[in-house]
Amino acid sequence: MEKIQPKRNKPEKLIGLIFASLFIFISNIAFAEIAVIVHPENSSSLDKKAIKKIFMGKTKKFANGNVILPMNASKGAPSRDNFNELAIGRTTAQVNAYWSKLVFTGKGTMPRELTSDAEIIATVSANKGAISYVDASAVTDAVKVIATY
Amino acid sequence: MKLFKVLTMLIATIVLPHSVFADVTFSGYGSIIAGKTFGTVDDPLNPGETRDEILTADFYDVGQYDNDIKFTPESLFALQALVDLGDDLKFTAQLVAKGTDDFEPEFDWYYLTYQVNDSWSVMAGRRNIPMYYYSEFSEVGYAYPWMRPPSNLYWWQVTQFNGFHASYDFELGDYSNNLTFFYGNENSYDNKEMLFYDELFGGNARSVDEFWSDILGFNWSIAGDDFEVRFVYFQNDRDRTTTAQDGTETDSVPFDQQFLGVGGYYNFNQFTFLFDWNQVEYDDAVGTEYPTYLVSLVYNIDDFQPYVVYSKADHEQTKTAAATKDLEEHYVLGFGVRYNFHPSASFKIQYDKFVEQGEESTGWAYHGDARALALGIDFIF
Repeated sequence: MEKIQPKRNKPEKLIGLIFASLFIFISNIAFAEIAVIVHPENSSSLDKKAIKKIFMGKTKKFANGNVILPMNASKGAPSRDNFNELAIGRTTAQVNAYWSKLVFTGKGTMPRELTSDAEIIATVSANKGAISYVDASAVTDAVKVIATY
Repeated sequence: MKLFKVLTMLIATIVLPHSVFADVTFSGYGSIIAGKTFGTVDDPLNPGETRDEILTADFYDVGQYDNDIKFTPESLFALQALVDLGDDLKFTAQLVAKGTDDFEPEFDWYYLTYQVNDSWSVMAGRRNIPMYYYSEFSEVGYAYPWMRPPSNLYWWQVTQFNGFHASYDFELGDYSNNLTFFYGNENSYDNKEMLFYDELFGGNARSVDEFWSDILGFNWSIAGDDFEVRFVYFQNDRDRTTTAQDGTETDSVPFDQQFLGVGGYYNFNQFTFLFDWNQVEYDDAVGTEYPTYLVSLVYNIDDFQPYVVYSKADHEQTKTAAATKDLEEHYVLGFGVRYNFHPSASFKIQYDKFVEQGEESTGWAYHGDARALALGIDFIF
């Protein structure tokens, strides 16, 4: 009996087209300066490498033994995107993907989210273990700047 | 298993009322994915007949795509509750509803975590076995670039266990290290995947129970700024009981299993290279071995991550009279793109080519070739 050739669709072409169109997107993002802030009495010396480790959940305590409370700006806030790009070196989506792996396997708790620069400054100035970041123009005397990007 | 579940829940209920002001955090993840295969193949198990191409996207839950567009093989929703009981003690539970189970929610994860100090933490409860690099978070689609970790490697009928973990974080030079030791057991009564195979090969069993006991091993991960490498080793005993329609039980010959692997990623410029190599060996009479690996390259361009992923699975017998390397064998070549259109959600589209390479006369070439397209959204909250 003659074998009937199975009918084959050609999804490969469509995929190729989608790929080609994706590479057209190139964007230039202008960054506003970001200031990393802690409580004014926090005397821990933290370099940029240490800050990155804190926001990736790899360092949990300051040198003096106090628990670190890292805090993020809200989802979609420009300062959060800028901080992730400049301090962690990844897009917000990549950082969130990294954290989702830790959060849903019980290996970490994602930094708490605060809604505005004003709330971040108020919270950091009231918590000795807190560390967060704001747009550099929003910094006040209530907090101590330990790094800028 | 039931006893363990009762114990864990009991501990949680005893501890919970004492912490009325306990801090409870809800989070979750989900995937809504549709897909289909293209064309038909000669049915490997029914010579002379043809059937739809089938791509198994999820072996454990028997989530398969055929020529009809389907939402059920990979779509799922999960809700996680994290109860901070204070004094470094936490209780976590994950309720997961999968399309393969008609979205009926089940507690897939529940465990207690105690942070002993900055370096040591212990966990007791139910969670995924840390086998392959992506095993623990294989269902969290948002956590990786692809539609799924290559399904032809994640083919085991047991993925979870009730156990105990001791985890140790330490720095070595500039690198963050984690050593996790684990021990546990899994009695998988009425195993879905094993019953599926029984039927596929013409059986008529009522149920197949799969027992993985004394699962003992460790993970060691080393992470730097741009890379992570993770080693895994564990061993366990394997038993199986098949129950016929008339209630007759047949026990398979038990054997020991050893699992070895190394996987991770490396970021360079805008590329991410991902890999996982594994070797599974049985001490059975025929010397069964399963060498598998995956390699993948992802290009990160703003919110787009186009990628290619290749995964190869093999099944050999090293001790039979005619030792053979040609039993179950296949590779999957996938192309796709992830588009992070939202801070908590991504769109993915992936085309897969599954190529059957097993020797047909052995009966192990039961998958058949398949080409499939799947697209959907992964999210976290």
